[in-house]
Amino acid sequence: MNCYDIARREIRRFAGHPVYLFGILGAPLFCAFFFLTLMGDGLPAELPAAVVDMDDTPVSRNLVRQLDAFKETRFVMKTHSFTEARLEMQKRQIYGIYFIPEHFSADAITGKQPVLSFYINPSYLVPSTLLFQDMKTVSVLANASVGLQKEMAAGQTEAQSMAKLQPFVIDTHALGNPWFNYSIYLCNTILPGILQLMIFLLTVYSIAMEIKDGTAREWLRMGNYSLTRCLLGKLLPQTLIFTITGFALCAWMYGFLNFPLHKGWLPMLSAMFLLIIASQAGGVFMIGILPVPRLGLGLASLFGMLAFSVIGLSYPVSNMHPAIQSCANLFPLRHYFLIYVDQALYGRDWVYSWVQYVALAGFLSLPLLIGSHLKRALLYFKYIP
Amino acid sequence: MEKDSRLLSIIKEGTEDTFAVWKEELKNVFRDGGVVIFFFLVPLCYPLLYAFIYDNEIVREAKLAVVDQSATYLSREFIRRIDATPDVQVIGVYTDLEEARRRMDQKDAYGILLFPSEFSREVHTGRQTRLSLYCDMSSLLYYKAFLLSATEVSLDIGKEFMKRNEPAAFTEASQEILVNPVHYEQVMMFNTQGGFASFLVPAILILIIHQTLLLGICMLGGTAGEKRRLRDPSPPLSFRPYSGTLRIVLGKSLAYLLLYTVVCLWVLAVVPRLFSLPQAGDPGDVLLFILPYLSACIFFAMTLSGFMTSRESPFLLLVFTSVILLFLSGISWPVEAMPPFWRALSYVFPSTPGIQGFVRIHTMGASLSEVAFEYRLLWIQAGVYFILACLNYRYRLIHYRPDAFPSSAQR
Repeated sequence: MNCYDIARREIRRFAGHPVYLFGILGAPLFCAFFFLTLMGDGLPAELPAAVVDMDDTPVSRNLVRQLDAFKETRFVMKTHSFTEARLEMQKRQIYGIYFIPEHFSADAITGKQPVLSFYINPSYLVPSTLLFQDMKTVSVLANASVGLQKEMAAGQTEAQSMAKLQPFVIDTHALGNPWFNYSIYLCNTILPGILQLMIFLLTVYSIAMEIKDGTAREWLRMGNYSLTRCLLGKLLPQTLIFTITGFALCAWMYGFLNFPLHKGWLPMLSAMFLLIIASQAGGVFMIGILPVPRLGLGLASLFGMLAFSVIGLSYPVSNMHPAIQSCANLFPLRHYFLIYVDQALYGRDWVYSWVQYVALAGFLSLPLLIGSHLKRALLYFKYIP
Repeated sequence: MEKDSRLLSIIKEGTEDTFAVWKEELKNVFRDGGVVIFFFLVPLCYPLLYAFIYDNEIVREAKLAVVDQSATYLSREFIRRIDATPDVQVIGVYTDLEEARRRMDQKDAYGILLFPSEFSREVHTGRQTRLSLYCDMSSLLYYKAFLLSATEVSLDIGKEFMKRNEPAAFTEASQEILVNPVHYEQVMMFNTQGGFASFLVPAILILIIHQTLLLGICMLGGTAGEKRRLRDPSPPLSFRPYSGTLRIVLGKSLAYLLLYTVVCLWVLAVVPRLFSLPQAGDPGDVLLFILPYLSACIFFAMTLSGFMTSRESPFLLLVFTSVILLFLSGISWPVEAMPPFWRALSYVFPSTPGIQGFVRIHTMGASLSEVAFEYRLLWIQAGVYFILACLNYRYRLIHYRPDAFPSSAQR
């Protein structure tokens, strides 16, 4: 009658339960397969755009060719009016429109300063950002090349002219992810996020099912009515499997796909392990405050889903409402995310991350807070279907 | 004549049965706390929560550390102008890159702009000079804010600088032409400030409807599954042995449709207004589009509900799919860059055409003819899932009856 027996009982429980196995192994691995194959090279290429060339001269056609030569942009259509192009945008055939006005080349040479316009659609954020960069670069180049012709005609060297036209050049260094790889950017956090969600759900589920099946007393009796022993016996087999899954995710990302890992394996593997046990502790807390299967699971899923937005992956936390900024710390994933940024992406000193490791370990105190309430619920609650 | 009246009586009985099932299902929903949470509480609170999280829309005052090794009038002017842009805030000027790096490590700054020592000298001797911008890539929005502001300032100062240096023989206008022979303008369509909430929240709203319907209906299905397994003597529909599959499927789906009409009013009409998201669409078009979307979601959920063995299993099977469905919808990751296999899979779920169509009508002001593909796809999905839902309930009726429905034969 100890932890070991409870663990064996737990393994028997989920061996005969396909839903259980799906949640613990199937869902996280399927998501890893999905996200790591979905984004492939990590940067979308050949995004469709339209050009409205009202000028139609060698100069304007050359401009279009330059744009087309960018890896991200591909002109799939040439329309004769802006309205036509806008309709194609609304049909989502294209993500951007490049508009060259009538008499563009004549006006440019005679100094009438024609206006090139480019239209992007931020309702599709990723493709529109990429197209925006290309279209802007080409417009700046168009400006420079017209100016360059004039300057060089006035007897200046190319270097002199360029210095005049564009005295400042900005070299950008995208730290940590110079390839703008979206797969690195997203998978590093979304996959652990899914793992956290599934751990919340499964921890709540496995305890809730004891209440529902009326086996809670039997379970407590096996651990001599010590909740600590009961929980350890029940959750340790899950910890083991989740740890294997979590480490497999790390191996896939850092080993197989060579995502940046500047400080070696230890910081990330330990962060992953802490994320797993912190999430389990979070799960115990949830079923502790709402010891009814449907409510506990509802809480776990709502909290788990919210994590993806609150941790500041796509939209930075520092820009959110102060109340939400402090709430973000309630999610183990937030701390994991900060560790990943510091340790794996940049390889910063350990000094900057230890607080996050401690915070993750701090989640382990949650079951202590709710223990007596949970035990009472396990002993006296009766499941009402 | 007799045939006629028999047909009439079948129709009459069918309608009566359908409405009885409808009423029964409404009661079922309200009797079940878990379902009430997912049908009402989640659609009520979740959209508010998301809109609140992303409420600031765009990154303002992103923190930038500056390393000024040149320390000249020109570099100071540059720094002052960057600080003055709405998107960037300069947190400090340092002489040494290490110092700025430390500020970044401490998360006081998310980027570094470096002026090299020869910065001013190069420009004044008529050479191009290079500035280095280092960006934190843990959030792409910082990168965007830094790069756009720095580029904007560098072009402006470059222009002024050139005007000053040109011989006085030029007039103001001719200098401007020399510096800027071609103008360009950038226009953000539909979502004019390029805000993050305006981009993501409409998609999330549609997804919330999809997922809460799925979870709620599958929970009801799971409850029925449990009763079936336990050989519960009380039949699922308590007072009358409804024989027709069609009556059950129609009655139940009408109940969900009624409830979700109310939910949609809140989620799709009130919430966007509360948070002033772009609303370019014609309300009539939105309404016409939502009808097949709701039907497809409901029948899809009713099809899946047959596979739920317990009322808790939908949580483990369905909740995590929200993240996948959002990416499959093509709103954040462009469909052009998706492997064909995942693209094909995305057509299985009503959320894909639902999100695509709704965003385009609601945010981009498209009419139904521009979303014809999505609109047709939704109707096809609704049709296919209706048939599958009928088969599912038919199967359940047949397999439920012999042992667990003993009383119905006598009634």
